[in-house]
Amino acid sequence: MTAPVDGSAGLEAVRAALGAEHAAVWCCGLASAFLPAAAAQPLADAALAHRQRRDALIARLEASGERAAPAAAAYATPRPVTDGASAAALLVVAEDDVAVAWRAVLERTDDRDLRTTGVAAMTASATVGWRWRRLAGITPEVPPLPGSR
Amino acid sequence: MRTVRHPVAALAPTLSRRSFTFLTAGVVVSGAAGCARDEGPDELEAPWAAARADAAAAAAAATAFPDAAARLTPVAEARRAHADALATEIRRARPDRSEVLDAPAPAVGTPPSAAEAVTALRTSVGAAREAASTLAVSTARYRAGLVASVAASCAGWAEVLAS
Repeated sequence: MTAPVDGSAGLEAVRAALGAEHAAVWCCGLASAFLPAAAAQPLADAALAHRQRRDALIARLEASGERAAPAAAAYATPRPVTDGASAAALLVVAEDDVAVAWRAVLERTDDRDLRTTGVAAMTASATVGWRWRRLAGITPEVPPLPGSR
Repeated sequence: MRTVRHPVAALAPTLSRRSFTFLTAGVVVSGAAGCARDEGPDELEAPWAAARADAAAAAAAATAFPDAAARLTPVAEARRAHADALATEIRRARPDRSEVLDAPAPAVGTPPSAAEAVTALRTSVGAAREAASTLAVSTARYRAGLVASVAASCAGWAEVLAS
């Protein structure tokens, strides 16, 4: 279990979550060029959820007088994305990263709104992620403890 | 850990004003509410018992209906992992509750068909997801991540079982 940490670590966790959401939005865009048509709607839904959480985090940081980092122009993918399976594998990485980042937020704040958003983010990583795991041929289709590494 | 009753107040002197404003901007959970208490059941016992029951039910159904084993066994393994992780935390925080953890598990019945077994399991992990989602918002920080991971995993399996 993680020991209690101070508020600056909570802020760092929120910044990291924003970074993960930025990356996930970008990954959804890249993957849309490779995934089969049947995956278009789930991918669009996932991308929308990432954008909404990204915007909520930016608003939260700015309301607190903190700088919200913009998205990078592009991200380095762990492996080349050349087809549906490799695109799905990239989305698995993106969703796992989001779950890890939000779990860190949960462990560093008592704020109900942030906690609720974090649980929703981790849940979405699993309810969306199984589809990408299946397309990428990764088992199990749901990690035992999403957000833990 | 259990002695920190008011985390925000306790930590306030180390925070910058902006950070403090950020952290207290929303509704703040009472420090005492989320901590493991020394009396009564640990709040993780309910999700632990649910996870153990699901693991046993899924494993029993996988044995009874081999054609459905490929769908049921991963859920049994996931729920076993949840039960183990939750039990580890309960033992750490509340050594006095080990009797509950060590008591024999209730007997598991087998549904009449594989389809009914899948439906029952889907309903059960869906309920576990709801309960854990609520607890993850209110529990102590150091437990919130684990409980949210259990909620997320249950949510994922509920969808896979419905697919």
